[in-house]
Amino acid sequence: MLTMTNVKKVFRTDLVETHALRDFNLQVDEGEFVAVTGPSGSGKTTFLNIAGMLETFNGGTYQLDGKDVSHLNDNQRSRLRNEKIGFIFQSYNLIPDLNLFDNVDVPLRYRGFDAKTRKQRIEESLEIVGLANRMKHLPAQLSGGQQQRVAIARALAGKPRFLLADEPTGNLDSEMAQSVMELLKNINKSGTTIVMVTHDPLLAKQATRNIFVKDGQVSEIEDVIPMHVANA
Amino acid sequence: MLELGPIFRALLRNKVGAVLIAIQVAFTMAIIVNSVSIIYERSQETKRPSGIDEENSFFINSSGFGTNFGAKATINKDLEDLRALPGVIDAVQINAIPVSGGGWSMGLQTEPGAEHDGIGLAVYMVDEHGLGALDVELLAGENFTASDIRWRGNAESSWPDKIIITQAMANRLFPDVDYAQTVGKTVYINDNEPMIISGIIDKLQAPWVGWNNVENAMLSPEYLERDAVRYFIRTEPGRRDELMKTVEEMLAQNKERVIDGMRSIEYVRERSYRSHTAMIKILTTVIITLTIVTSLGIVGLASFSVNRRKKQIGIRRALGATKRDVLRYFMVENFLISTVGVVLGACLTIGLNIVLVNALSLTPMDWYYIPIGMLVLCLIGQIAVFGPAKRATNIAPATATRTV
Repeated sequence: MLTMTNVKKVFRTDLVETHALRDFNLQVDEGEFVAVTGPSGSGKTTFLNIAGMLETFNGGTYQLDGKDVSHLNDNQRSRLRNEKIGFIFQSYNLIPDLNLFDNVDVPLRYRGFDAKTRKQRIEESLEIVGLANRMKHLPAQLSGGQQQRVAIARALAGKPRFLLADEPTGNLDSEMAQSVMELLKNINKSGTTIVMVTHDPLLAKQATRNIFVKDGQVSEIEDVIPMHVANA
Repeated sequence: MLELGPIFRALLRNKVGAVLIAIQVAFTMAIIVNSVSIIYERSQETKRPSGIDEENSFFINSSGFGTNFGAKATINKDLEDLRALPGVIDAVQINAIPVSGGGWSMGLQTEPGAEHDGIGLAVYMVDEHGLGALDVELLAGENFTASDIRWRGNAESSWPDKIIITQAMANRLFPDVDYAQTVGKTVYINDNEPMIISGIIDKLQAPWVGWNNVENAMLSPEYLERDAVRYFIRTEPGRRDELMKTVEEMLAQNKERVIDGMRSIEYVRERSYRSHTAMIKILTTVIITLTIVTSLGIVGLASFSVNRRKKQIGIRRALGATKRDVLRYFMVENFLISTVGVVLGACLTIGLNIVLVNALSLTPMDWYYIPIGMLVLCLIGQIAVFGPAKRATNIAPATATRTV
């Protein structure tokens, strides 16, 4: 599903050269729920950005769903991102001027779906996260947990095969965090591969596999719950 | 996908900047479109032919003062001398100069009586050489003969019994008759004094370029028996300047008078249309300034909007928007703002035009100025927003994952 081999990422300024990822190797199989943990500055977010094709990398290879994405141009990366990847961000990243319906609609419009299909998908995904009755609300009218659910609905609406979550519970209290976590686990059970960056070891333990990143490399991999058990 | 609905709804939630720009676009359109209409009208007026050979004609004034000065004799001799000069095509004594700003006007009517309104026209008093000197073409009827010409004294209030009028005047007097058929018809001056139209000339403008009846003129077969007179001289092509000096020197030989006020018709025309030219320049400056100010306003709003929404643009990019999608978003957003602006602007344009027409007696603007103005303003908006929108496309999708 996702295979990174010796991926390197270097950030350069006039004075400093920062090696964010050094020979980063990781394979994520279809249906996995992988939690990526590590200290601040270890390269977790850089990994997530590269995995989501939000950033390019300086060396190595990256195959997504069997396709080498190293040489794709900006347009191709955008298209692939839109079709195959759903994003969940720590600060929800909803567009404040748009109501929930229009927020969930954003990636679907870029996909080129017709209005009928978009409406159906938006209603379905908001139904899944339990917010179908608030479609006309603005993000500011919702709690943090509800906003994150909208962000999950937006990620799900495109029916991606791959969900990338960057500290999805980072801004939520423990109860809300667990609620979002349950939602992610359910999504994973329905077949969507999830890679989640988190600081919270308790949440990480609920994933099928934990990856520990340090100094831009995968330093430890731990199978927490065998996938067949997790998905049972 | 154009995202018209979401963009419009998002604009409604942040409407202050957009409304201000739309209002600016509306006022800009109202002023620009009306200015263009005025410029076009004025420009067309400045290009109107006067009917005379402007390039090769000039006039000169003669003011007799000596005790031995005889007006009739001097005029006869001057005209004889002027016409005999090599390079002079023809010359006449004349009371007024076309497009000069000063002259005589009267009213002609087709029925006698004070209860009838006359149609205004300029009066040019000339002899039988008038057509040749002014370079006007006789379309119908006949020119004056030497015997038609009378001397008009200072106290004279009556008019000759025949006149030549312009085609435009013939059409105004007898709108239902072909101009050629108006030859021989009687018209009335001073309410009851009959005159017969003996000829129709193609074109001869009045002295007043801003006058509604500027195309109405008549030639009256008369010499002015006065000490101060004016001669109109037409020369062969290219010889005007040379002959201006010659004529001045020749007339100045008579020491019983003063020669002054010699001007070319080109100069006279330029002076008469100077206010038109100035207005065209001022309005052009206004148009350019307003266009720049409005464009800068759009650039400013768009740049502010891009800076304010960097994160949002990053999110859109992360969710699959291509650079083209981002560019289109801002272009469509501006198009919506401009559309509201130009619709409002169309109403303001019409309103302003009504005010200007009533206040300044302008010609009402042609309808097609409005859609053209709307298109141009929308285009200006699209050009102005392109730069900031292009910068927005450079915002990296990774901006979405940054917390600051």
